[in-house]
Amino acid sequence: MTRVKGSDLMRVALRTPLLQATWNYERQQGLGWAWCLKPVLDRLYPDPELRRARLAEHTAYFNTQPTLASLALGVIAGLEEQRAGGAGPDADGVSRVKGVLGSALAALGDRLFWSTLRPFAACLGVVLALGGTWQGAATMWVCYNALHLGLRWQGVAWGYREGQAVLGEALRRRLEDAVGRLSVIGAAMVGVLVALLMIPGGQPRTVTFQTALMGGLVLGLLTVIRARPSPTQWALGMGALCVAAAWLR
Amino acid sequence: MNLAYLTTVVFGGIAALDATPVGQTLLSQPLVVATVLGAVWGDMRIALEVGIVLQILAVSTMPIGARTPEDYAAGGVVGVGLALGLSSHHPFIMTREASQMLGVLTGLAVAIGGVPLIRWQRRQNEGLSRWCEEELGRGREGALAASHRAAIGLAFAVGVVYCAVCLALGVWGLGALAERESLRLAKAWSLAQPLWLGLGLAHVLHAFIQRRLVRGAVFGGALIVAWLVLMVGTPPR
Repeated sequence: MTRVKGSDLMRVALRTPLLQATWNYERQQGLGWAWCLKPVLDRLYPDPELRRARLAEHTAYFNTQPTLASLALGVIAGLEEQRAGGAGPDADGVSRVKGVLGSALAALGDRLFWSTLRPFAACLGVVLALGGTWQGAATMWVCYNALHLGLRWQGVAWGYREGQAVLGEALRRRLEDAVGRLSVIGAAMVGVLVALLMIPGGQPRTVTFQTALMGGLVLGLLTVIRARPSPTQWALGMGALCVAAAWLR
Repeated sequence: MNLAYLTTVVFGGIAALDATPVGQTLLSQPLVVATVLGAVWGDMRIALEVGIVLQILAVSTMPIGARTPEDYAAGGVVGVGLALGLSSHHPFIMTREASQMLGVLTGLAVAIGGVPLIRWQRRQNEGLSRWCEEELGRGREGALAASHRAAIGLAFAVGVVYCAVCLALGVWGLGALAERESLRLAKAWSLAQPLWLGLGLAHVLHAFIQRRLVRGAVFGGALIVAWLVLMVGTPPR
């Protein structure tokens, strides 16, 4: 039985940044998924016809949070290895596992990366950037990518090693804990950021500035539960109103 | 100056790649864009003033599922680039603040205007996906790499062209306004900047708190403590 080598998994990991290169509404990450998995399929299926058939299967619809997709790629690499040896699930079975992994990892990853880690890294970066230096952006980038790139590159080997058990209670608990801790620290950081904006360097800003900042906060909290208009549309409208007010005064 | 504009536009293509097709490493986020462009233009202060506002607003944009998020990669590059371009000739504070106001407003408009463009690219990728599958059926495995090259090339080109057009239109159309109406625009900036920051921070806070009372208390406590430390702990100048 042909086995997947460590170098194959490494090549899969190096391809993961291109998972979303061909993102589209029909198959979403499907084509990118096939591209990432190709080194493993090259190893397992020396027969070109069979390999192309497997590649075509993997171009089907798939979508998940892009960082945690590495775990799913590792798990499916393991399943394909079993399948190539005649012991694993058939095409439908692999497709079902992909579907389950995709939605479960999206639920975990969207909360961790989009709703928590990215705002956290951005707040940390802004707190430092208020001093007018480049360190804010560098800190933001490092803070996010330490986990993002770490999981992206290590995740394939981890998923391969653990198989479908990777989505067990231990991972869920670790990710939930990370979300909880980052959220608490993030909430505190927003408090510090608001104070720093109002009293930069110990010198209070004007009453107009402080009132407008609080007004923006209250408006934001009132509008946050509605998806439309989006915060960007609100911001554009408010900016236009401020220009109009400056013209009329 | 021309080299700075050229670098800004090329960085627009790089940011467009980082936003979705390649990496998603936050290189396309306005704060990082602002820092890079601030170094290129030699004016970190203006770049960060605009970048911080756009960053706080960009954080609430979630690229979840099939949702097409606002294009803050192009918005950040054009917004910061425009503010730097408009203010580069003027040392006066009023004109610089007017440039910041126009930069953020244009950045927001470009971010919203980029949504149909991203949708268009994604539809082009659908055609690429079908083509790739047909070619795989014909035995051409290289189609997979070719389709990826094409998609990445398209994203980069769209990013560069969109940023170049918006930046050129902004500098051409708003340059005179920033000079002539700098007083009014500076007044608008003094009102809009805190409003934008407050609005964006409310969305960030909501993402962190998630209706948990303890986290709300942590926010309030941190705000009060930081306030006291800054007010009492900082020696008077």
